[in-house]
Amino acid sequence: MLRTFYNSVHTVRPHGVLEYVGLRNFAELVRVDPVFWKAVGNTAIFAIAGTTADVVGGLLLALSLFSRPPFAKFLRVVWFTPVLMSYVVVGIIWVWIYDFDWGFANLVLRWLHLGALTRSWLGDPSTALASVLVTHIWKWLGFNMIIFLAALYALPGEVLGAAELDNCSGVAKLVHIIVPMLRPTIVNLLVLSFIGKMMIFDLVWVMTGGGPLWSTETVSTYVYKRAFDWNTFDLGYPSAIAVLWFGIIIAFVVMMTRLLRPRDRLEF
Amino acid sequence: MMTGLTRRYLVAAALMMAVAFGGAMSKATAEDVTLTVWSHEADELGKVAFRELAARNLEKSHPGLHVKITWYEKNPLIAALKTALPAGQGPDAFYVEPDQTEYITSGYVIPLDTLVNWTTIQDWARKVWMVDGKTYGLPQEGYTNEIYYNKSLLKRFGVTLPANAQFTQSEFFGLVTKARAAGVTPIAQGVGDRPFPGAYILGEALLRKLGPDDYRNLFTGKLSFQDARVVAVFTWVKTLVDAGAYPKNFMTLKLGESHYYFYRKPGALMLPMGSWYTGRAFVPEDKGGQPKDFPLGLMQFPAMDGGACNECKTGGIGASFAINAASKHKELAAEYLNAMSTPEMGKRWIETIYLQTAVKVDVKEFSGPYASYFKELLERQKGAKYFIGMPRNLITGQCKDTFEQVMNAGFPGGLLPVDRALQTMNQACYKG
Repeated sequence: MLRTFYNSVHTVRPHGVLEYVGLRNFAELVRVDPVFWKAVGNTAIFAIAGTTADVVGGLLLALSLFSRPPFAKFLRVVWFTPVLMSYVVVGIIWVWIYDFDWGFANLVLRWLHLGALTRSWLGDPSTALASVLVTHIWKWLGFNMIIFLAALYALPGEVLGAAELDNCSGVAKLVHIIVPMLRPTIVNLLVLSFIGKMMIFDLVWVMTGGGPLWSTETVSTYVYKRAFDWNTFDLGYPSAIAVLWFGIIIAFVVMMTRLLRPRDRLEF
Repeated sequence: MMTGLTRRYLVAAALMMAVAFGGAMSKATAEDVTLTVWSHEADELGKVAFRELAARNLEKSHPGLHVKITWYEKNPLIAALKTALPAGQGPDAFYVEPDQTEYITSGYVIPLDTLVNWTTIQDWARKVWMVDGKTYGLPQEGYTNEIYYNKSLLKRFGVTLPANAQFTQSEFFGLVTKARAAGVTPIAQGVGDRPFPGAYILGEALLRKLGPDDYRNLFTGKLSFQDARVVAVFTWVKTLVDAGAYPKNFMTLKLGESHYYFYRKPGALMLPMGSWYTGRAFVPEDKGGQPKDFPLGLMQFPAMDGGACNECKTGGIGASFAINAASKHKELAAEYLNAMSTPEMGKRWIETIYLQTAVKVDVKEFSGPYASYFKELLERQKGAKYFIGMPRNLITGQCKDTFEQVMNAGFPGGLLPVDRALQTMNQACYKG
């Protein structure tokens, strides 16, 4: 990591020769690199929408299992299984699902007589990012679900019991009792999920490589391209991107933890 | 006290031991030599067999030598080299392609002029790897860009290939519309895992319209993408795109899949491809190869109206090998390169991979199941003026990235209108 910081203020010449350039890489990045800003925008959308969906979706799944529905154990295994799969496998499966001709998504639409809605989901800039995001959420929802489920089982039964004695409705119990008591878990998952999505690389690389027309380019895929695809061995500029992004992630994490930190300690 | 005789015995014994140990040590050194080679094309069985055979041949002529080839796909190979070479590591010899100029400019590969036997290599092919009078790569694979087509489908559409195997712009457009109207995908092409196939039609059209000099100027930033001839070519290609020339899954269809799409399922009329098409197609059917009875034909890329060089076509060098500047076995590495470049191996390349080679080979008669294919391939070369190299060989950095996103993917994928495609390319590439 220290080397990345060091490289970011240098141009790395062949055979390890370093030329000090100060903040020039950062200035170029911020002022004249349109692809970087496109990547920042995509990553921000991915991080905000993905984190929200992950945490809210995970909580809803956990609550549904907490209410002990039929086949709860089976559903828990099914929902958690994608977490155990590698990004490469998940990416390949979903590229098939999204294929225009034989993909499951379009087959379902055609079966429902909604053929007009079929499209090349990963080949259309208007749907590519959302399609990758859906895949990512599918993979990680189970992880959040398990963490929430563990937290729910750890909640004190007497508090929930007291709420029921007071004829508290399900929604009121959720909003006024369960969610506040889950707040530390929610904050932790928000931060973890946010960091993961700000660094997203593998899935995007496997599914779209950042295309079409940079519509799924993320900061991490752009760093990789600048480092390995630009006919250069200069790691200075990609290091500058990585350092800047590292700073932005740290800033957001600090901000999130401060904003979401409980003002009063909840005792039960 | 030691007598003089005893001392002499001891010295003699010590000398004998030194000789014996020295001999053992030098023998051990020879036995320990492992030449490492990193190669792309792990999925092309013919090429794997070819390079492994050259390795075994070299081992036979050099007892104690072991040649270890590590097989990669292209992108992982590039990533591995980009980290290994700056660290002073990496293999003794490795696979390169002519667009990877950074190895030369960075000094990570050595000139091969005095190391390699150049008498067996075609001069034009050697020139591809020459920079400032020195040669940095040994070319192995030669290729030309061709349009492969299904003869039965062409006949079904009532179209006859002209004598020179080259349609005009309007005839080619007519062919595309006829195929689409019949529910057949006109051109099986995809850009799911490669940064160049989507630009075959566009690139070859530009070459014919502009001629080799202005074509080079276009991709070296000396000619604007707003040039009227360039606009005309983009506009024509846009009509093909709008007529449904490419499959709907163009953006995600991978190179290997596009071959399968063309000759198997669902089937397509044409597949523009380098003549290394054979590496994937001419393998057993159960390994994804072309059906034995597939009616394969070859046509020229279409002639452009008012084209400056309609007889032009892209030729090029693909697979090549370079020697790591940090290698401790440079001469052995060069011998491995030589072992792949003998006339016998060149002949073997043609006979087993069915592809042109940079090695000088005197093959007049072809036999075997693909003899007619090879004859047709050579027929398509008659009278051709070659432009050596693909656009990707001429561009770097942002221009290259934009080429991949726009000319390779976005424009043929129907995502960009002509004016926006030209504007984006100009911003990234034009230096005027």
